[in-house]
Amino acid sequence: MTRSTTATGAQLLQRFTLAASTFTKPRPVQVDMLVQFDDVPVIVRVRDGRVTEIVERAVAIQSWDFAVKGTAEGWRQFWLATPPAGWHDLLALNKRGAFTIEGHLHPLMAHLQFIKDLLASPREAVA
Amino acid sequence: MSVKLEPIVGRYTSFDIQGNQCRVYFEEAGNGIPLVCLHTAGADNRQYRHMMNDPEITSRFRVIAFDMPWHGKSYPPEGWQDTEYKLSTALYVDTVMAFCAALELERPVVIGCSIGGRIVLQLAHLHSDKFRALIGVEAADHQQPWYDTSWLHRGDVHGGEVCAALVSGLVAPQSPAAHRHETLWQYMQGGPGIFKGDLYFYRVDSDLRGKLTGIRTDLCPLYLLTGEYDFSCTPEDTLRTAKSIPGAEVTVMREVGHFPMSENPAKFRQYLLPVLKRIQDS
Repeated sequence: MTRSTTATGAQLLQRFTLAASTFTKPRPVQVDMLVQFDDVPVIVRVRDGRVTEIVERAVAIQSWDFAVKGTAEGWRQFWLATPPAGWHDLLALNKRGAFTIEGHLHPLMAHLQFIKDLLASPREAVA
Repeated sequence: MSVKLEPIVGRYTSFDIQGNQCRVYFEEAGNGIPLVCLHTAGADNRQYRHMMNDPEITSRFRVIAFDMPWHGKSYPPEGWQDTEYKLSTALYVDTVMAFCAALELERPVVIGCSIGGRIVLQLAHLHSDKFRALIGVEAADHQQPWYDTSWLHRGDVHGGEVCAALVSGLVAPQSPAAHRHETLWQYMQGGPGIFKGDLYFYRVDSDLRGKLTGIRTDLCPLYLLTGEYDFSCTPEDTLRTAKSIPGAEVTVMREVGHFPMSENPAKFRQYLLPVLKRIQDS
């Protein structure tokens, strides 16, 4: 692990945290998901359709429902105002191997559009 | 009347499909060469409303879009409650042929998208003498699965919501928001298990690789139009398919996804109109 990749992951996390703090939908979503930005994993807690906490994995054994792990390139492309084809959707990224999705998938599939929109929330505005 | 009425007219008709009497809903607009439109899996004929409202098309073509049995305003056949819906290649071909026969359409053009694009390939293979031309939108002989279809029909996940959420990524980011969400609404309104039943055809029963021999594009031109943002039926899938069909013409549509006629009608017509002109002139 190099210093530069760590910095990239931290920058991606910072960008996500800023956008997620104001993301809310009127939907009874209660999930703990592990989201990994390059080599930086965090647990994102969602309660009643809004992000209540983003915590770095400070302890070795910690529970979460499902995980979405993405490369730095994957997140950067995904968050462009107009992502290129194949980089524009969570499942497209999963198909191309830039993202992996693991764990107990029922909460993800039950709230799939919410999760997709939350993870895309740092996307740049179209000029 | 002070309000403007759209030219689309909806009718019902009943005919036999594989021994089952089916009451089928269809909409149409325009006059000229019959152009039969096949909707995508788990959706309905509303996907073609923009083409049926386009005078440049309806001045030359009689655009007809029907809801497959089990979809939209077409009921399932009587006794459906004791069966599981599974679309097969044979049932799909028979449905299209029965509809065309019921309306006494003489050598119509057929345009189909996604599963409709796949069946267009089979129609070209089996019945090219029955059609004036065929247009496959997001069409390929096979494509790699990218999710487990068991999520589409189970008691603890809302079927309409998960269907729409899964396909939402197949809409290109450039498509207008109103059209994007109208497209997804259709998926939210499908009957329980119907999208999954359509995908039985798509995933299990219609691997057409190596089976599309003998297609006579000189008698029945075959046009394949695929959006660059479609990661389900990718442009590479369509290009690979076309290599096995001499004379098939492929166009990759920029800034379009899996539902061109519905998600971005203005962009789609830029690609469709030249194809329709060639069909009319042939």
